[in-house]
Amino acid sequence: MSPKPILQAKNIIKKYRMGTQVVSVLNSINLDVYPGEVVSLLGKSGCGKTTFLNIAAGLERPTKGEIIIDGHLLNKISESKMSVFRRKYIGFVFQLYNLIPSMNALENAILPLVFEGIPAREREQKGRELLKTMGLGDRLGHKPSEMSGGQRQRISLARAIINNPRIIFADEPTGNLDSRTTKEILDLLISTLRKNGQTLLMVTHDQEVARHGDRIIEMADGKIIGEKVM
Amino acid sequence: MRKKDLFLMANQNLWRRKARTILTCLGVIIGTASIVVMISLGIGLRISMEQSMAQWGSLNIINVHPGMQWDESGNPTGEEKRMTDETVAELAAIPGVTAVSPQYNIDGEAKLGRKEGYLNIVGLDPAVMGELEFSVEHGRLLAPEDRFAIIAGSQVINNFWDERAARRGGMMMDGPQQQDPAELLDQRIQLTIRNQAGNERKQNFFVVGILDEKNMDRSWQVYASIHDVKRLRDFMMKGANNTGQMGPMAKEVMYSGSGMMVASTVKDSPSRGSRKDDRSNDYDSIMVRAKDVAQTKEVSQELRDRGFNAWSMADSLKDIENVSRTMQAILGGIGGITLFVAALGITNTMVMSIYERTREIGIMKVIGASFADVRSIFLTEAALIGLFGGIIGLGFSYGASQVVNKIGADYIQQGMMMGGPAANISVIPAWLAAFAVVFSIFIGLAAGLYPASRAIKVSPIVAIRNE
Ligand SMILES: Nc1ncnc2c1ncn2[C@@H]1O[C@H](COP(=O)(O)OP(=O)(O)OP(=O)(O)O)[C@@H](O)[C@H]1O
Ligand SMILES: [Mg+2]
Repeated sequence: MSPKPILQAKNIIKKYRMGTQVVSVLNSINLDVYPGEVVSLLGKSGCGKTTFLNIAAGLERPTKGEIIIDGHLLNKISESKMSVFRRKYIGFVFQLYNLIPSMNALENAILPLVFEGIPAREREQKGRELLKTMGLGDRLGHKPSEMSGGQRQRISLARAIINNPRIIFADEPTGNLDSRTTKEILDLLISTLRKNGQTLLMVTHDQEVARHGDRIIEMADGKIIGEKVM
Repeated sequence: MRKKDLFLMANQNLWRRKARTILTCLGVIIGTASIVVMISLGIGLRISMEQSMAQWGSLNIINVHPGMQWDESGNPTGEEKRMTDETVAELAAIPGVTAVSPQYNIDGEAKLGRKEGYLNIVGLDPAVMGELEFSVEHGRLLAPEDRFAIIAGSQVINNFWDERAARRGGMMMDGPQQQDPAELLDQRIQLTIRNQAGNERKQNFFVVGILDEKNMDRSWQVYASIHDVKRLRDFMMKGANNTGQMGPMAKEVMYSGSGMMVASTVKDSPSRGSRKDDRSNDYDSIMVRAKDVAQTKEVSQELRDRGFNAWSMADSLKDIENVSRTMQAILGGIGGITLFVAALGITNTMVMSIYERTREIGIMKVIGASFADVRSIFLTEAALIGLFGGIIGLGFSYGASQVVNKIGADYIQQGMMMGGPAANISVIPAWLAAFAVVFSIFIGLAAGLYPASRAIKVSPIVAIRNE
């Protein structure tokens, strides 16, 4: 392992206030993820995986603790700068794909480049090539509603990696797919990442899925309870 | 994010909900159209007023009469102002006044060859006639050395008719014929005046110029040197007060004027007359020229403050301006309220749109849309609604304006005979069109501010946490 982690979670604590009650969701999570690693975060439903992933990706603030991505302390980045930071360093894959229904496959995949200000021609060419390698070359003009779950998730993957982020976060990326499609998607995602030396932190409750990672972190009740290197 | 992408995206977003966008635009369309048409009515009204005003008389000329002041119950207060050379000098000294001439008026029967008619003669200081906005279409203006020369208004020739010819040919059946004003040039007109003692005098006038037709105020009069008019006036006065001196005065009047002109306004000065309160030589009125319309109003007011009777076209213009300004304010206000409601419509639409697209906004933020991007998208959408509404509304305004003008033209032509070319009552100048579009964009932007600030606050978490 290279000595410098790309993602460091230091003593992350997250509490939610529910009226008078305070729910402790994450209890002092410490995790280092190194460049090029594929890490699976495995745990039962409700153990706090999503919460941790969101905090690690800067979508949510921890109650306590620090997140450092590629040397940048996220706590110090303001809400308005966070989007720009994410655009540069982070890709995100959602369980429910979260594509924009009014845009077609190509438009969805290249949306991050639109916000980055890349000229239309350049970004469309890049998007076309990427979607082709993901087996969607003949679906570029289709709207998400006209595509299967596996196809949608492939668009979502393309969108997450199109601007070459250093680290990709995926929350149950195959949660809604059958086992065959799940394997296809994971193989595609991981092989693409390997080519570019990118890092993946993936959340799942499925042992099979977790096994695709280099390392499996096991979580329960807001704590890390074990780690397995594959 | 590039401007082009921003506009494309905003435009695309708008047309995802066609019906709602069109309905929202409709508010802006109606608001813009009503504001534009209403302002155009105000502008058109003012322009046509000013045009007809300029036709009726010069806007910079003030006619000053000896003021008789009355209090509220109708009793005269104070003494009537006198019109003497001191008065002329006093008026000339008022700031904003560029020319002043004393004025005598006389009238009498006149003959133009075989034609008979009537002559209103206004005597003015020939030296300042040019500055008093007299301009001739034919011939020339009066020169100070002219003796019994006149320039005639464009309609003066229509004061003369050949009665015998008319009787013969039955021409009068058709009413007076329009005659070419130029025919009067270089003609000799013989004026007949009588004094109170019953003496009669005939005086020939030579027409050296014809006034141009613009100024209807002056078109039925002829203008002569005040010295000539004074002479005739003195003759007419004779029978009245100075009967004893009739001999020598009559002689002076008979003096034909072919010799050197020695008398000046100052020498003729009424104030240097024999008796102090002899007002018979006071001027009938004084004509004052102000620098421009604005000065005219100020000078008129100053004159009234000093106790004179001052009247100018600009005064009437001021009233009309007030009416038209009030009207514009009322009409503009109605349009403004409509647009305000339209703006609320835009805000409402955008807020609804944000509710619907909360998830989408969250996703965009997760994948790298900055605050500025999100704000820009929603502001652009709102501005586009304003722009579309503004442009279509402007289109409707042009249509409505034409309809109003068509109806107005028919009405005016029915209503009055001498309308000339019917003026448009609704005028949309380029600046108004530009203003309308810019303003509706601005309305859209303003209406989009609040929704945009809400869009910014949408948390990216909502994109991930379903429901
Ligand atoms: N905004 C919130 N307010 C209060 N409690 C919350 C909030 N978000 C999450 N929780 C709670 O935190 C706990 C962990 O939620 P989380 O979504 O992280 O679980 P998870 O491990 O991702 O589960 P799953 O596998 O079902 O997605 C849950 O008990 C949930 O009720
Ligand atoms: Mg979860």
